Amino acid sequence: MTDDKDVLRDVWFGRIPTCFTLYQDEITEREAEPYYLLLPRVSYLTLVTDKVKKHFQKVMRQEDISEIWFEYEGTPLKWHYPIGLLFDLLASSSALPWNITVHFKSFPEKDLLHCPSKDVIEAHFMSCVKEADALKHKSQVINEMQKKDHKQLWMGLQNDRFDQFWAINRKLMEYPAEENGFRYIPFRIYQTTTERPFIQKLFRPVSTDGQLHTLGDLLKEVCPSAVAPEEMWFTWVMPKSDVLMIYLSYC
Amino acid sequence: MEEDEFFGEKTFQHYCAEFIKHSQKIGDGWEWRASKDCSDGYMCKTHFQVKNGTAVSHQGTSDHVQTFLPVEEALDAPLDDFEVTETTAAAEVIKYEYHVLYSCSYQVPVLYFRASFLDGRPLALKDIWEGVHECYKTRLLQGPWDTITQQEHPILGHPFFVLHPCKTSEFMTPVLKNSQKINRNVNYITSWLSIVGPAVGLNLPLSYATAASHDEGNVSGQDSSTERKSLEEH
Repeated sequence: MTDDKDVLRDVWFGRIPTCFTLYQDEITEREAEPYYLLLPRVSYLTLVTDKVKKHFQKVMRQEDISEIWFEYEGTPLKWHYPIGLLFDLLASSSALPWNITVHFKSFPEKDLLHCPSKDVIEAHFMSCVKEADALKHKSQVINEMQKKDHKQLWMGLQNDRFDQFWAINRKLMEYPAEENGFRYIPFRIYQTTTERPFIQKLFRPVSTDGQLHTLGDLLKEVCPSAVAPEEMWFTWVMPKSDVLMIYLSYC
Repeated sequence: MEEDEFFGEKTFQHYCAEFIKHSQKIGDGWEWRASKDCSDGYMCKTHFQVKNGTAVSHQGTSDHVQTFLPVEEALDAPLDDFEVTETTAAAEVIKYEYHVLYSCSYQVPVLYFRASFLDGRPLALKDIWEGVHECYKTRLLQGPWDTITQQEHPILGHPFFVLHPCKTSEFMTPVLKNSQKINRNVNYITSWLSIVGPAVGLNLPLSYATAASHDEGNVSGQDSSTERKSLEEH
């Protein structure tokens, strides 16, 4: 995995230049200037937008403020999806910066999960990590870790600390020497064209006759109706099956 | 996908089908819904519950009148007891939806649910917790984020509350082991739902237990003490 360190760093440090504008119907005491920010692809909106919130709340009265939520061209943004995923799904074909509208009223209950505190984001993130390990190692690695290791994983993400994060995550990326990979590969395929939020199925890294599966094999198996794999566009395209696992296993 | 585990997706669907057969017999309202691409699906039920369970009383005593009665109605409401009760009933009726989905990651069923007033206003998580029976509260209060959380429904995409599945096999194993020991057939879904359902207001009539044993042609004495015992232990 050491020769993939560059790839891991590129994935971790990916950024999206974003312009936050207050929704025009929000009540302000004076004009609200847009706020610019470089968003980390691997993080979550509600985790990295404290400055955005403070900036707009400065021109609003307390009584006009309730739970913050974000929207892009009329679509409420699911904070529980990684930022990079949201951008790639909804805005990748538009010019930068990514223009996001900020709301403080009329929270869309039917579309978005509530995010009352950072604890909720942590619980969601850890829940994803645990589910991925259930697939990779039958939860053995994550369950053997101490609470402080779980905390370090979360703090690494929250504070943008690559080394701190990967000190723990590398254990979740290991598999026994005699095996050819994880038990199942944790993956989710998101498409804007379906009602279903994502496709997730059991998929082994190795076929019954010992061949390593590739990304193309995965797509053929779980998403056959999609455009031919060669024509699909991925954020991080990796043809090798072992690198495939690293990307897909990141959750 | 492959089913090398004890409780694979096909097994899940089989037990749900048996469960629904019985539900249809007794009019319990469960039905199967296939996903749009028909590759999978879930079991669901909607029921209406009256908050505090007293609003349909005709006595109309002031104890039962809730403070969130809409202002216009409060002003117009005549002193007739029956009419006051009617308006109170509308304000207190809650619609509960329960969905049973299969988790391929944990290879267990998962209970998703949501609740709203008749006017569409959803219930918040704290309101749901208030509706949880006393005996479950201690465990839930210790780690609320571990047990009931709000999540996106994996097929519909909307926010639902979920009972986290990671402990399911822990409490289901003794139930299944015990049933093997006493040579009694068990519908996994029936047993599992009878354990987790009551925590969120979902109760199963006892006839499900009878049906489960009869499914495989096995007639046995009826007692749900097996399920209750595991419940207490966990």
